[in-house]
Amino acid sequence: MSENKTDTGMVIKIGHLYPTLMSVAADRGNLFSIERRCKWRGIATEVEPIFVKQTPDFTKYDLILFHGGADREMEIASRDIQHKASSLREAAESNTVFLSVCAGYQLLGHYYKPFNGPELKGVGLFDMYTEGGSTRFMTHMALECKFEETGTKILVGYENHSGRTYLGPKAQPLGKVLAGWGNNGKDGVEGARYKNAFGTYTHGPVLPKNPWLTDLLIQRSLEHRYGKVKLLPLDDSTENAAHAAALKLAMEFKGTMSAIEATSWKR
Amino acid sequence: MQTDNSNNDSTTPSGLRKARLAFAISAGKLAGASGRLFHIGGGTSLPGMIARRIDPNVLKSVVGGSKAKKIVITGSNGKTTTARMTAAIADAAGRSVSQNRTGSNLLQGITSVAVNFSDFFGRMESDVLLFEIDEATIPLAVPEIQPDVVVITNIFRDQLDRYGELYAVARALDEMLESLPETATILLNGNDPQVANFGRNAKAKRIFFGLETKDIGTPVPEQSADIIRCIHCNSDFTYEVAYLSHLGLYRCPECGYTLPDLDLAVTGATLAENGEGPSKITLRTPEGEMNLEIPLPGIHNIYNAVAAIGAAMAAGFPLDSVQTALSNIRTAFGRMEKIQAGDKTIYLSFVKNPTSFNLMLRLIAQHPGKKHLLLAMSHTVVDGQDFAWLWDVEFEDLVSDILDAVCSGNKTEELAMRLKYAEVSTDKISLIEDREAALDAALKQVEPGGTLYIMSGYTPTQELRRIMQKRGWVKHFWEE
Ligand SMILES: [Zn+2]
Repeated sequence: MSENKTDTGMVIKIGHLYPTLMSVAADRGNLFSIERRCKWRGIATEVEPIFVKQTPDFTKYDLILFHGGADREMEIASRDIQHKASSLREAAESNTVFLSVCAGYQLLGHYYKPFNGPELKGVGLFDMYTEGGSTRFMTHMALECKFEETGTKILVGYENHSGRTYLGPKAQPLGKVLAGWGNNGKDGVEGARYKNAFGTYTHGPVLPKNPWLTDLLIQRSLEHRYGKVKLLPLDDSTENAAHAAALKLAMEFKGTMSAIEATSWKR
Repeated sequence: MQTDNSNNDSTTPSGLRKARLAFAISAGKLAGASGRLFHIGGGTSLPGMIARRIDPNVLKSVVGGSKAKKIVITGSNGKTTTARMTAAIADAAGRSVSQNRTGSNLLQGITSVAVNFSDFFGRMESDVLLFEIDEATIPLAVPEIQPDVVVITNIFRDQLDRYGELYAVARALDEMLESLPETATILLNGNDPQVANFGRNAKAKRIFFGLETKDIGTPVPEQSADIIRCIHCNSDFTYEVAYLSHLGLYRCPECGYTLPDLDLAVTGATLAENGEGPSKITLRTPEGEMNLEIPLPGIHNIYNAVAAIGAAMAAGFPLDSVQTALSNIRTAFGRMEKIQAGDKTIYLSFVKNPTSFNLMLRLIAQHPGKKHLLLAMSHTVVDGQDFAWLWDVEFEDLVSDILDAVCSGNKTEELAMRLKYAEVSTDKISLIEDREAALDAALKQVEPGGTLYIMSGYTPTQELRRIMQKRGWVKHFWEE
C-alpha cells in the first residue's frame, strides 16, 4: 500500500486548528487519513498548525480541521476563536472544506451552553446552537448520508457527547441517524453541512473507517484549488472491513445510551 | 450503590446481621472455588459479586473490623506494579499482606479480597490490606475501605467512555481526598501537575514523590501528553525536563505554578541501554539517601518503585530491606513478561492506553533487530468500547522495524487499519480474530531462537495467557 503513485503536482493546503488544545479523542487520525490517502495518489499535503493567538487568513486553506476537546479546552478555544471567526466564515463562504468534530463542531455554531456554566460563544458558521444535557450519548453510531458525488453512503463512528445540537434553517444535517443518537436524540439527524463545511459528533476517529468521506473531502479540497478532478481509486479492503465491523456494532447496540454499560460480561 | 443499608443495621438484630455476613462470605468463597474449577474469569470478581448481592455491607464489615494498615493505590498507569512492589516491601518487613489481584480492581474484585482472605465470620488476620483501584471506582470504594494511605500514581487520558473526561475524574478524586481523616496520608506524584494539586484542602497529610534528576528525560513532552497547560491559569507549561508524557519538571510562566518540594525524590538515574535490564537510582528520603537497583526496565518502573517505597514509608514499615524486596520483583502479569515458548521467546505486554502502549513500543524499539508482532484488542466491559486512542499510539516510530504483524481480538480490523495508516505494508499484516490461531500464526513467522512481541488489551492478554498456560509455558496467574 505504501508504494507511491506518480506525482500529480497537486497540493492541498490544510489548516489544523488548535492541534494540541483540541485533540481529545485521537482525532489526529483524521489528518493521518487525509495525508496518507493523498500521498498514495501522488497528491501533496501542506499542514499548518494554527494555535491560540494566531490569526491567519483562513481563505488561503483548502481544508480546515477542527477537532474535539474537553470543557476546559473548549472554553479557551471559544474565547480565542472570536478573533478568528470572521475569517473562518469568509473561508466557508468561499467554499473552503471544513471537517469539525464534537467540541470543534459545536463551536462552529452560534453558541454552546453547558449544563452548568456560562454560555460559550461560537463562530456562527453553522446556523445551529448546542445546549448541554444531563445525560451522555456514548455509543456506536451509523448514519445514512447522500452526496452528489457519492450517492447514498453509510457513515460509521462512535459518539460521546452530552451536548444537544439544534439546526436552524440555514444548516443541513450531515445524515439521517440509523443507530445512535446524533445531534440531540430527538429529531433523527446528525451533524451539519453548509456549503463545503461539515460538522459531526462521530469520532473513532471518523475518517479512517469512512474512506468515502475522506475522499469526498480530498476531492472538494482539490476542486477548491484546481477545479474538477477525478481521484484515483485505492484498495480499500482494510478500511471496508473496519467499516463493516463498526456498522455491525452500531446495529447491535442500537437504542443504548452507553455502549459500555450495555455490554454484557460474556462478550 | 446500595450500601446505604448501613443505617438499617442498628435495627437489625446483630445475630441476624452476622449470619447474613457469614452467608455472604461462604457463598462468595463457594463461587470463587467453582469459578476456578470451571476456569471462568480467574475467580477474581465472582466471589465479591455474589457476596455483595447477599450482603451489600460485606466489604465495609470485614475491612472495618480488621486492624490492618489499609493502603489504596490508584491512578491511570502503574497501579499493579506499584502494588506488587509495596507488597514485596511489606513482606520483607515481616508484614502479612492481603491484596486484590491483577485487573480485579472494580468494586466486585475489591470485595473478593474481603471474601477470600477472611474466615467465614469475616475476620481477617493480615497486617496489611492492599488495594489497587480504578480511578472510576475510587469514590465508591474509599468510604467502604477507610484507608490509612492513599497513593495516586498519575492521571493519564484513559478510556474516555468509561471514565468520562479527565477533569471529571480529577474532581472525583479530589473530593475523595478531602473526605479522608487527618490520620490518613496521601502520597502524590509531584511530577504530575494535576496530581500534585490534589488534596489542597484535605485534612490528611500530603507527601510528594517524583523525579528531579536531569540524567534522564527529554526537553519537551511527547505528542500524546495530556495535561500540558497550567491547571490554574491555562497557560502552556514550560518544562525543564519531561520524563514520561506530561510528567516532569514543569513551571507555569504566567502564575508560577510549579511542582511542590518532593519528600521522596530521585536525584540520579541510569536506565539500562538494552531496554531490558535494571535501572539504577539515587533516592532522597526523609530517612536519608538510598542507592537502589530496580530490576524492571523503564522510567515508569522507577516511578512505580518510588511510589511503593513512599507507600511503605507512609504505612510505617521499616525501609532497610527495600533493595532485597525490589530485587525479588518479577515482571507483573503481562508487563513485558518474558515467556519461553519452545525454542522461541515471547514478550507479553498488556497495553490499555496510548501512554502504556507507547512505553512498550519504546522498550521494544531498544531491543536489537527487526520485530515480529502480535497485536490483540477486544471490546468488552473491562476493555471499553471506544478504541479511538489507538490513533494516539506512535506506531509510526516502529514501522521500519516491523517484519510482520498479526492482528487479533474482535477489534482486528481496527488494528489492521491503524497499522496500514502508519504505512506498514499490508502484505505484512494478517488478520486472525481467533486468539489461539493468531498466536500459532504469529509464532510460525518467528525463526527458531527468535522473539515474538505481543501487545494486547486486558481481555485478549488473559485469553492468550490462558492458552500459554494450557501449553505449560506460563503458570496460572493466581498461583503467582
Ligand atoms: Zn498558571
